[in-house]
Amino acid sequence: MAKKEFSFNEAVVKIEEILHNIESGELDVDKLSEQVKLASELIKQCQKKLKLTEEEINSIFNDLS
Amino acid sequence: MTLTELQLTIRDALYVSLPGMHWVTAEISEINENYAGHCYLELIEKQPDEKNIRSRARAIIWSSRYRFLKSFFENTAGQPLRNGLKVLVKVKIEYHEIYGLSLIINDIDPAFTVGDMALKRQAIISRLMEEGVFEMNKELEFPLFPQRIAIISSRNAAGYTDFMNHIVKNGYGYVFYTALFDSAMQGQETEYGIINALDRIAAEISLFDLVVIIRGGGSQTDLSWFDNYNIAYHITQFPLPVITGIGHEKDLSVTDMVAHLPLKTPTAVADYIIDCVAQVDVRLNEMTTEIKNLSHTILEKNRNRIESAGLRLLPLTRIRLSGTRETLSGMIMDLTNNGKKYIYKAAMEQSSLGSKLRMAAKTYLAGKLSASERLSGDLRSLTNSSLKDKNNSIKTLENSLRILSPEKVLARGYTITSVNGKILRSGEELKENEMIDTLFSDGSIKSRVTQGLQKKK
Repeated sequence: MAKKEFSFNEAVVKIEEILHNIESGELDVDKLSEQVKLASELIKQCQKKLKLTEEEINSIFNDLS
Repeated sequence: MTLTELQLTIRDALYVSLPGMHWVTAEISEINENYAGHCYLELIEKQPDEKNIRSRARAIIWSSRYRFLKSFFENTAGQPLRNGLKVLVKVKIEYHEIYGLSLIINDIDPAFTVGDMALKRQAIISRLMEEGVFEMNKELEFPLFPQRIAIISSRNAAGYTDFMNHIVKNGYGYVFYTALFDSAMQGQETEYGIINALDRIAAEISLFDLVVIIRGGGSQTDLSWFDNYNIAYHITQFPLPVITGIGHEKDLSVTDMVAHLPLKTPTAVADYIIDCVAQVDVRLNEMTTEIKNLSHTILEKNRNRIESAGLRLLPLTRIRLSGTRETLSGMIMDLTNNGKKYIYKAAMEQSSLGSKLRMAAKTYLAGKLSASERLSGDLRSLTNSSLKDKNNSIKTLENSLRILSPEKVLARGYTITSVNGKILRSGEELKENEMIDTLFSDGSIKSRVTQGLQKKK
């Protein structure tokens, strides 16, 4: 199965959902560490994506000027 | 009469019947200036169909008069005397025995020509309007980036040079691709030249964004070649926008009117095109900045979102965990407390049960004891009385037995019936003619059954 392409928006939605679940206490302690791990992994990926995007945009504009 | 005599007679007759000057309307079909400065013309009048000639005459403007009339006409009518023009001229009739009839032009009324041209022009405009084509070139979309320009002009025209200088040396350093389609820009060749140039451009239409028709410099006057139906019609049908810069100061020619954009001079056309590109360039730069800013804003917003999520994750998890821990220790407390309570209660219950049990046991035992004491007393007395009773009952029984002994029973009148030594308790077994023995207290008899058992009702 091909790996699904990373979607920034989906990741952010997921992170915020996890945060909400942790905050509201809807999350089982059983799943807590798993979900926290997932959230921090997603945050890392988002940061990476942001950094890449910024670099790309900067290089596009450098090409333009 | 000799030929000369005849000619002179005609001349005299003419002079007598048409003396002096006459204002005549006519169209110039040919005009030539000779070395001496005399102007020779051919005047015609066409049939109403504008094709066939109805009449023709030779006319002359002598040089002395022509010098004045030429500039007077040009200044007033805005164009030189040329063929195709309708004129109102004041003529003297001259008849020469060698050259025949000539009209000697002494004066000319430019207002008539102007009026006639205006009428013709108006007719062309009306026709284009009626055909619904007048606005067609104007309706084309102007290219965003007019960079490839087809130029219709005369190679030697000052206007063409002006245009090229301007467009090549534009202050922004933009590069334009230009191609010249050479055409006459005045005179009779103008119509053919421009239409032919348009056709050549049309053949390579994909190479161009725009057509410009430029002229200028030199004579600013002769606009009338552009008041031409065919040129105007071709422009209206052309698939690219046409900009004109044919050098007019006052009125627009029909060509200008149907063009996408009429401008006054070739230089103005060049400036306009450069300006279009510059505007797009500026807009592009603005958009670049806009995109740059917007994308940074978007990035910043998302970075904040992620950062705040990252900052919240750990504390929230801690809070969640410590919350859970608290709940858990609360539960332990509860459990301990409840357990103690339970145990205490249980202990209480147990001890009370024990004492109860003890009490109950005591009571029970006491009860049992007294009961057994009582019972043993009872037993003794009961035994005694029972023994007495037993004695009595035995005696009664002895009596009963005595009473019930067969001898006594027989003595009281009962008998015992038997068949073959077997005592009968029911008459059912007896059949007729069977022999039965009947025992009395004092002996027995044999008898025969004469009737079977009659059951009690």
